[in-house]
Amino acid sequence: MSKQLGFYVNSDACIGCKACQVACKDKNNLPVGSFFRRVFEVSGGEWVQRGKTWENTVFAYNLSVSCMHCQEPLCMEVCPTGATYKRDDGIVMVNQDVCIGCRYCEWACPYGARVYNETTHTVTKCNMCADLLDQGEQPACVGSCPMRALEVGELSALQAKYGMADEVYPLPTADVTRPAVVIQAHRDASLVKARGGYIANEDEV
Amino acid sequence: MNVQDTLNGPLGQPVSRRSFLKWSAVVGGTAALAGGGLKVGLPAAQAAAARAPTAASTGQWITAPCWHNCGGRCLIKAYVVDGVVKRIKTDDTHPDSVEYPQQRACVRGRAQRMQIFSPDRLKYPMKRKNWAPGGGNKELRGKDEWVRISWDEALDILASETKRIKEKYGNAAIYCPGGSEVQRALALYGGYVENYGSTSRGAWRMGQKPIVGATTQSEINDRLDLVNAKLIVMWGNNPAWNTSPLAMYNFIQAKKAGAKFISVDPFYNPTAAVLADEWIPIRPATDTTALLGMAYVLITEDSKTNPLIDWDFLNRCTVGFDKDHMPEGADPKENFKDYILGTYDGQPKTPQWASQICGIPAEKLRELALKIVTMKPANVVFGWNSARVEKAQHMCLAVITLGAMSGNMGVSGGAFGVSCHDTSSNGGPMLVSAGSSGLPAIKNPQADVRLCSSEHWNAILTGKYTAGKGKIKDINVQMIFHGFASKLNQTNNINKGVAAHRKVEFVVSNHYVLNTSAKYSDLVLPVTTPWERPGTLLAGNREIMIWASQVVDPMFEAQDDQWIAVELAKRLGVDVQQVAPFGREQQVFNQIAGAKVMKPDGSGTETLVTITDADIAAMKVQGKPQQGRIGIMELKERGIYQVERKFGDKLTYIHNKAFRADPVKNKLDTKSGKLQIHCQELADLVTNAGWNQGYPIAKYDPPTDGYEATFKDWKTQTKGDYPLQMCNIHYPRRAHSCMDNVSWLREAWTQELLMNPMDAAQRGLQQDDVVRVFNDHGSVIRHVTVTPRAMPGVVFMGEGAWAEFDADGNDIAGATNTLSGDHASGPDVESWQACVVQVEKSNKSLTPDAQWKPRVVFPGGGGNV
Repeated sequence: MSKQLGFYVNSDACIGCKACQVACKDKNNLPVGSFFRRVFEVSGGEWVQRGKTWENTVFAYNLSVSCMHCQEPLCMEVCPTGATYKRDDGIVMVNQDVCIGCRYCEWACPYGARVYNETTHTVTKCNMCADLLDQGEQPACVGSCPMRALEVGELSALQAKYGMADEVYPLPTADVTRPAVVIQAHRDASLVKARGGYIANEDEV
Repeated sequence: MNVQDTLNGPLGQPVSRRSFLKWSAVVGGTAALAGGGLKVGLPAAQAAAARAPTAASTGQWITAPCWHNCGGRCLIKAYVVDGVVKRIKTDDTHPDSVEYPQQRACVRGRAQRMQIFSPDRLKYPMKRKNWAPGGGNKELRGKDEWVRISWDEALDILASETKRIKEKYGNAAIYCPGGSEVQRALALYGGYVENYGSTSRGAWRMGQKPIVGATTQSEINDRLDLVNAKLIVMWGNNPAWNTSPLAMYNFIQAKKAGAKFISVDPFYNPTAAVLADEWIPIRPATDTTALLGMAYVLITEDSKTNPLIDWDFLNRCTVGFDKDHMPEGADPKENFKDYILGTYDGQPKTPQWASQICGIPAEKLRELALKIVTMKPANVVFGWNSARVEKAQHMCLAVITLGAMSGNMGVSGGAFGVSCHDTSSNGGPMLVSAGSSGLPAIKNPQADVRLCSSEHWNAILTGKYTAGKGKIKDINVQMIFHGFASKLNQTNNINKGVAAHRKVEFVVSNHYVLNTSAKYSDLVLPVTTPWERPGTLLAGNREIMIWASQVVDPMFEAQDDQWIAVELAKRLGVDVQQVAPFGREQQVFNQIAGAKVMKPDGSGTETLVTITDADIAAMKVQGKPQQGRIGIMELKERGIYQVERKFGDKLTYIHNKAFRADPVKNKLDTKSGKLQIHCQELADLVTNAGWNQGYPIAKYDPPTDGYEATFKDWKTQTKGDYPLQMCNIHYPRRAHSCMDNVSWLREAWTQELLMNPMDAAQRGLQQDDVVRVFNDHGSVIRHVTVTPRAMPGVVFMGEGAWAEFDADGNDIAGATNTLSGDHASGPDVESWQACVVQVEKSNKSLTPDAQWKPRVVFPGGGGNV
């Protein structure tokens, strides 16, 4: 089996602090409005009045999302120049010298992971901090997580340790691109929108 | 494969790829704007850093200070190449484990680079264009233009105005609410009016000592004992947002070990989202009633066959619970039990009574009361916010009383009290701590004239202040010196504060950005951040001491506060040697040399750091060689000393264990030596402060702007003009008001008003509508986030936004103190959680905060970023 690195994302332990999001921006020098990693807040539930008090079914959880370094990356499929490629370890890369900024990949990616750079007129994204990995260090996001809710490693090893789950609301179905991710879902999460759940922080991601 | 048929969009329904991509379209659009229009881009900020001469050599990780009062402390390091800070990392000084965890930083620490090198750093000394000696046009404060001046001119203005005001009005006209450096110069010049207040700790600040005999931040066991808890109740306690994230990590270990969690909070906060098996919403500022209702359940249902109350502990370790255990000299009728039963006031404090105030169903209160005494050991841990309420000393008494009844005090796995700030989840004596800087104290000759934060603006406006019961005294403040902090933004009633600032003859601020205090000043002196100073010692949880180093040279013309104090002292003709007998380097060295660490057997402390003659010579300081655990250079390189812990080690701390075992031999530092359920000392403190009547037991006394104030007629339950309660919350976008200008944090955390869907529907409000939030104290314009995480009847906003008033007097930034009232109460409580408002739709438009123009005063002149 060929090598494929992936992320483990423990949504059940994620407090939504966004240390990963900002550690990523710091590592990659991203301006306001650009994210290689974003933390979604899902909220839901209802209130029912009972006399002068209430009962509720409110829930909330957080999910940290970056490029999934998919096993069948659509972005690579649609790239007309071959700028997008997979390294031997499965990391999806963008060769900035070859990218012409057509942004097809941005449209193809179901995870919103691609970011157009207005200055270089090329598309950029998470490269799993390949430079750090090559030096034996962890990606910035993984090393930042105060809840130890992010890990990086060989996908098969992560699956053996944490299971096969690779989708949860609000992510798209995994069979489109086969994301290299293992997700520990929050206790209140489900695969599809349920119990009135919705992305509660659209203007923060 | 047909992609369009299979993707699940954000709405969870199979939708087209295009609509799912609404996420990324938003992102792409904003990114384009950022690239094209915003002036806050990182490369420019870094260019500014590059222009400044730097202290560090190339390619080096330097421990950088993350110094704010965020409620925690973590390790960050800055990677400096050729004097430019390239990036930040967090603790990787040792492998990570539960017993010996890395001190990983939160989002704010990770964004520090954007603060230190932000384009709105103050570059030069500056004065208000229409300023003149005596103030000039004082109404222009906050909206005048700025004029760049030299340090000489700035210091001359500062000295001459200080002299003029002292000579004309006396030293009691000089109010200096913060800044330990400049206060030394002012003290030598005859003194200044001091500020006091409870700040974060609410009624606990003065209330804790007389009740429990300690002034520690938390009344809990240490973190490694948390895993022994069966039940953990987080009461108004959101460590995910109000302390170092390590506290949440500690609680997660308890959850993994099997503890059940209950969250009691008006907001379904992120702590609850991760931990809570059950959320019990409670109205702000009504917590005491819930605790009293729970006490009623235990008192009335306890029996020999159904024992619920820890009578053994109550009888041996407390005073005041019932008439047979009263402290000496107290009226037996004033006991807690008879207050609960309504024996003398005719009002039993039943769960039904409590429910109509606190909003928790009576049956739920009963269930909670029974859980904390049957799922033992239980940790019932409170933040400070529930006592950050006018007249809330009853909250402190109620917590300790119910805790004593519950049998969870002084036992492994148990706790009942505050778990907050640096010590959240991790109680016990410090295991490592720095020594003193060695700066001798200077007595302030005016120390008897003090203004409480909840009364200071009023005192300046009216010329009267409260110096104690029946002691209303005259005061004539004509100069405000913000030597530190952000009092105008961060104390109650900003509108009154602005009026006070426009009344006095001179206002001066030291700061590194144009925060609210600086904005309303005549003279602003740019200061360095700790990143630009020769070392900073930082304390945090009990296991760590951080020694951060200088990362870069001072930015632009910024100077150390100590240098400003010395220059002021020279011009005032006072003894400069006393202001700063030695420099920062020596002060830091003294702190390191004096650092102590707990011995592994817990029997006492020993010297931490080994120092040689060569070290002393290399550091160019005065000192003596000493032997400790770690060499001073190794510690400096490492940047942190962390005591390595093990489950079951001798450093494990059980709060009040010895006291529970033998309260006669191990007396508490209270009047009776016991926990004081009846505490006359506290009642006297409250009464003698001069604002309100103190009570020795947990007698509920509603605040002026509490839930009751949302009604114009309580009996008929008719709502009044301000039918909603507003709760101000610690918000991860900033540490109080610090870092509110940081772009990466602004985009990560929008400052919106959170409102329950039912309240929104009643007002015809939709998600992201612009709304006006208002009461008698002020008016705020913000977007609304409609969320079920907010309980009905309560709206929420993060505290600390930098107030920004539009032409109509609306604060468009959403500073919560624009809406919080300055209702003073004893001993020195500042009230934040008691606030009532109305919310209506506004026709104003509001730009997202991340796109606001930063407060750049001088774009040119070498500082054009």
